[in-house]
Amino acid sequence: MTTAAAAVYDPQIPGGASAVAASARQVTKAYGAGETRVTALDSVDVDIQRGRFTAIMGPSGSGKSTLMHCLAGLDTVSEGRIWIGDTEITGLKDKQLTKLRRDKIGFIFQAFNLLPTLNALENITLPMDIAGRKPDAAWLDQVVQTVGLADRLKHRPTQLSGGQQQRVAVARALAARPEIIFGDEPTGNLDSRSGSEVLTFLRRSVDELGQTIVMVTHDPVAAGYADRVLFLADGVIVDEMHAPTADSVLERMRRFDGKRTS
Amino acid sequence: MLLKTSLRSFLAHKGRMILSLIAVVLSVAFVSGTLVFSNTATSTFDRLFASTASDISLQQEPPKLGGKDVREPGKVLTVPVGSVEKIAALPGVKSVVGQVFTEDATLVNPANNKAVGPTTGAPTLTGNWADSPRNSVEITSGKAPQGENQLMLDADTAKKAGLGLGSPLQVVATSGTYNFTISGIVTFKTTNPGAALAFMDTATAQKDLLGTTAYTSVEAYGDGSRSNEQLKADALSAFGSGYKVLTAEEQKAENNKDVGSFLDFMKYAMLGFALISLLVGGFLIINTFSMLVAQRTREIGLLRAVGGSRRQVNQSVLVEALILAVVGSTLGLGAGLGLAEGLIQLMKAVGMNLSGAELKIGLNVPLAAYGVGVVITVLAAWIPARRASKIAPIAALRDHGTPAEGKANRIRTAVGLVLTAGGGALLVAAAAADTAATGGKLLGVGVVFTLIGFVVLGPLLATTVVRVLGAALPKLFGPAGRLAQRNAMRNPRRTGATAAALMIGLALVIGASVFTSSATKSINDQVDKSVGADYIIAGGRGGLTPDMVKGIKSTEGMDHVTLQFELPAVLTTADGATTEAPVLAVTPSFVQDFKLPASAGTPESLNQGAMSVGEDFAKEHHLAVGDRITVEYAGGRTQSVPVGVIVTKGNSFFDGGYFAGTDTVGKAVPETDLKLAAVAFGKAAPGADVAKTLTALEDSLKAYPQLTVQDQAGYKELVQGQFNQLLYMIYGLLGLAIIVAVLGVVNTLALSVVERTREIGLLRAIGLSRRQLRRMIRLESVVIAVFGAVLGTGLGLAWGITSQKVLASNGLATLAVPTTTIVATLFASALIGLFAALVPAFRAGRMNVLAAIATD
Repeated sequence: MTTAAAAVYDPQIPGGASAVAASARQVTKAYGAGETRVTALDSVDVDIQRGRFTAIMGPSGSGKSTLMHCLAGLDTVSEGRIWIGDTEITGLKDKQLTKLRRDKIGFIFQAFNLLPTLNALENITLPMDIAGRKPDAAWLDQVVQTVGLADRLKHRPTQLSGGQQQRVAVARALAARPEIIFGDEPTGNLDSRSGSEVLTFLRRSVDELGQTIVMVTHDPVAAGYADRVLFLADGVIVDEMHAPTADSVLERMRRFDGKRTS
Repeated sequence: MLLKTSLRSFLAHKGRMILSLIAVVLSVAFVSGTLVFSNTATSTFDRLFASTASDISLQQEPPKLGGKDVREPGKVLTVPVGSVEKIAALPGVKSVVGQVFTEDATLVNPANNKAVGPTTGAPTLTGNWADSPRNSVEITSGKAPQGENQLMLDADTAKKAGLGLGSPLQVVATSGTYNFTISGIVTFKTTNPGAALAFMDTATAQKDLLGTTAYTSVEAYGDGSRSNEQLKADALSAFGSGYKVLTAEEQKAENNKDVGSFLDFMKYAMLGFALISLLVGGFLIINTFSMLVAQRTREIGLLRAVGGSRRQVNQSVLVEALILAVVGSTLGLGAGLGLAEGLIQLMKAVGMNLSGAELKIGLNVPLAAYGVGVVITVLAAWIPARRASKIAPIAALRDHGTPAEGKANRIRTAVGLVLTAGGGALLVAAAAADTAATGGKLLGVGVVFTLIGFVVLGPLLATTVVRVLGAALPKLFGPAGRLAQRNAMRNPRRTGATAAALMIGLALVIGASVFTSSATKSINDQVDKSVGADYIIAGGRGGLTPDMVKGIKSTEGMDHVTLQFELPAVLTTADGATTEAPVLAVTPSFVQDFKLPASAGTPESLNQGAMSVGEDFAKEHHLAVGDRITVEYAGGRTQSVPVGVIVTKGNSFFDGGYFAGTDTVGKAVPETDLKLAAVAFGKAAPGADVAKTLTALEDSLKAYPQLTVQDQAGYKELVQGQFNQLLYMIYGLLGLAIIVAVLGVVNTLALSVVERTREIGLLRAIGLSRRQLRRMIRLESVVIAVFGAVLGTGLGLAWGITSQKVLASNGLATLAVPTTTIVATLFASALIGLFAALVPAFRAGRMNVLAAIATD
């Protein structure tokens, strides 16, 4: 636990709250106790910059999904603190977490993003419906245009292709203007063409709409769309890369494999 | 392999099986409980009668009518005292006892003028105390009665009435009222069948109860040297015609017949409950297995992909159902024993003491229990099993295990529409039918057709009706409301089957309450229209004695009294047909007190030597006014009476009645046969206060608590009360149907919640609060419940209105729709929905968001 002793950060990040959309300090997540204790995250410190596209990568079991779940308030941490914007979410009750997810966070999951009983448009506006807010018509229109779904709005999810379904999910995440969007392998179930479509939309939403996105992926091509890649191994952030390309990420990942086989 | 897979799968889903299990257990428990109860009761009474029956019993041959024994009111059949010696002289007879027993006397507690004895319809037996070798009772306190004023009472009756040694007790016999003091208490040695027993000494019993020195029967006990059959043959040849002799076996059979009819009622009521729980439980099982199959689509696909045959898949589901059936039937059998014990306790409360007996479980009990449990479960699982076997191997490769959304298919819709339309047409035909008999048959078939039609159409109706019902939900309850509406519609087959359970129960109740409220209203109307009498006085078992009639007549403010006697008779018409029906002999003022609606002839003809027949009877036998009918009374007395008036049908007071003047009837039957009136009608004198006269009348009949005295309003209430009994029974059935229906809704919701775990996780992740989630599930539940209630109300109204139309000409002339009941039922069904959603909603709310999303 040398890192734990070395790094005690001030939660007030220099440069003001506006620079950071989410941050974690000394976050540890462990399952079980005693001999069977498994540490998924080990004293992780991370800051997610506002208006940037961050990818979290790592081999299976590295804790990348756990980190995202903890950041998004879907999972609780064993130790440490997490902020979304100015709000510390560690210690919040379910009710407050629900409200937080509703108002400040958007989600894109790998699969099963949409309710089969609602059509595309209803799925997109669902978070705002739940919150009892009226969607901003102009913004909604822009989002729908951006993801190219204008002619599919009345379709049920079963009538849409996998790529189209994920685009609806992206539109849903964007439509509520959350402070931050979390994607859990959002292209994991898609062929490369549909995948690149979805990733392009995510990229554009960062560039053109100023959206903050955090995405967990194991696909170097997907990570290549990000501004910054965090590499996780055994519950610890081992490296990061700015302005990555698919090739550079692949190169970096190979080193993991090399290390492992050696 | 197959069994292992099924067993594992069953155990893996045991939580989901529990509700289906409860349904199987309930049905089987009712079936086996009923059987155990009636087995036990029968064997107990068998033993009782076997232990108390004499070897042979000599009685007077009852008068015959149309080849059958008839019992005339107030007539006691006797054998002369001398028969005792005559029988004692027969070879092989060890001892002989002369018995006096009558059911016609009433016991009255003079302290409060209340009748003492069973209120369940079981008889009060009053007779002589004779020391027979096989008495059913023994003296447990006091001593045997001696002299004119001593009486012995059975312990159970004494206890219930709060009487003891030395208490005064009156016996109201047909010949008059006699005062006694209780000298002793007897207790049943084995089982109290529910009757009250009172004993006097032989001389008093003969004088008070028979009015003649004779016995009602002579009981003989053999010394064992000759069989009962031989004894009977000897006795018959010694006494010749006019007497009958019953052996112990024959007495037992006769006694069992009496008890049997009461037990039969219990049995049929219980079996009704069993049928309802079976019917409703069947839907529950169908739903459970459909959902299990749907959820395992991938698994089954995989099984098929690796080489499993359709047959194997089909059988694996059926074997699973079989396991459920066997487990459920076994538990149900156990619960049935408990139910039987409960029934025995209930019987004890109403006076039938079976507690001395042990539960008698015949072979028929487990056979019926397992038969019913297995057949219903496997039948119900048949459809889902077939569906499972149709799953293609490709299903294993599909993305998710999300079940295909079952849509109402075309064949099903067509079949449902044909059945419903056919049933509807039958109902219409029934309403238009000429006779009630034809109408009744059409109604019965129509009810079955419409019911099945609605069940088959369920999915289609679910889509359309739920869309309408749920249309307001999004507006009222926001996103939770919209999601609930969509969820209720997403699997119409499931919604339909779930709601069907509730639909059946409500259809039954609404139908019955339309029927009963129409009946009550019709009878009220008829009383207003056709009854001119102010008071109706009905006799107890013994009828109205001349003393009572005198009491009515002498009441202050009473103008006159009309008496109605009921005489068993056989009518022979000119076409040669014979009809067994009582002739109602009425005194002349009858035509003043009742307005007989005549379609031909005049009511006054009753006082001029003619009789009345109903319209239907006249039509059937081509009778016109003036045609003669041969009337045969008990004892072979006959007379020929012309038809004086044909009574229009549609009035329950006169329908099926054959009225004739007492003067006319008196020409054929002896005066003694017209001594005990069945019912009397009183009319207050002009100017007299009707209410005051009622009080005076009640006062003058105070000594006869067995009589019911009513004015018109009271009579209406009495009739209503009779229908209410039917209604309570139906409410009981409804209660049960609702319990099982709630289980069904809980079951469907619980399985839906499990099935939609990921959806729920997603909803929670994007910000649906626990409260909103719970509300969504509750609303879905309410929509399903109300949907079932609406269908049930529709069906019930159709059935009830048709039954009124069918019986419109038979006394149910006025239709009354009980709107309060209907509105209350609809509200109640919404509550049922809320209630059923409690647990599933709670469980959904407790789900871990992350785990829910990660679920495959």
